[in-house]
Amino acid sequence: MEAPQYVAARIQQALAEDARTHELGIHVDVRGDQLFLRGQVSGNDQRVRLGEVAHEAAPDLKMHNEIKVVVVNEPGEDEHLD
Amino acid sequence: MSTLTEVRIAAVGDIHLGEDVRGEYRKRLEGIEERADVLMLAGDLTRHGTLEEGRVVADELRDLPIPVVAVLGNHDYHSDLQHEIAGELRDAGVMVLDDDGVVVECGGTKLGVVGGKGFGGGFAGKCASEFGEREIKDFVAHTRYIAESWKMALKETQADRRVVLSHYSPIKETLEGEPLEIYPFLGSYLLAEAVDTAGADLILHGHAHKGTEKGLTPGGIRVRNVALPVLGKAYAVYCLECGE
Ligand SMILES: [Fe+2]
Ligand SMILES: [Fe+2]
Repeated sequence: MEAPQYVAARIQQALAEDARTHELGIHVDVRGDQLFLRGQVSGNDQRVRLGEVAHEAAPDLKMHNEIKVVVVNEPGEDEHLD
Repeated sequence: MSTLTEVRIAAVGDIHLGEDVRGEYRKRLEGIEERADVLMLAGDLTRHGTLEEGRVVADELRDLPIPVVAVLGNHDYHSDLQHEIAGELRDAGVMVLDDDGVVVECGGTKLGVVGGKGFGGGFAGKCASEFGEREIKDFVAHTRYIAESWKMALKETQADRRVVLSHYSPIKETLEGEPLEIYPFLGSYLLAEAVDTAGADLILHGHAHKGTEKGLTPGGIRVRNVALPVLGKAYAVYCLECGE
């Protein structure tokens, strides 16, 4: 059986290199037959696509897509540099 | 007219826009002219560096009521269309830096902005050097060339205040939160060394989504990681004092 670290590395590579996603900062964990995706992206479509690409890269694992969509809040307080 | 006593710089990086979020970032820029005198974008404006995404970014930034200065990031280079994307942005009125500088008039103050994408290599004591295989030498030489260009551009820029705008980080403090193993791909101390030598008032960068907002160069210049996921808001505003 392929070691979980190599499976995770392969999934991460797929997320970075697949033309649908090209996402570099996603944390991928494989525990037994469970796959966990964590990180932040700029839109919900991208989160869904990442789930699809990860699933295709490891179809036998049960995936938990815990990726968050960055909420772009109103600009807050200024910082004064003196 | 009263003289401006400070320049307010709005800054953000890593907005990573695409067609599916068209119009959303623009909404967050409404009223920016009340809060800031200039907007600076620290690269990774797109996801895959396609022309379609570049056009979305250009449309979001078009005709803002304050000057906009930008650099590109590694994502914007992915499709080898960086020149075309920069062209789209320039057509929309954005000043795009490519290892050079520009002077922006903010009220009575001349604000110099110097920079570009930057590059990696790592940080003093734990970095790559121009030794061994051609590929490693090319990697380091690329960063060295960029640092040298910034130093020259800073020396040539006549302004009251000077800001360096980069995508990659010049220091490791603002990377805190990122895995140590990837630090060499997140920035290079050569960038900080160049800016410390030539002098500047502030360095802005992005790229490290999991990093930390605030840091300092060895020479004492303030560094801010303005990656959108780090800021958690549409942009940060930094006010630089300008004196009389
Ligand atoms: Fe980014
Ligand atoms: Fe980046």
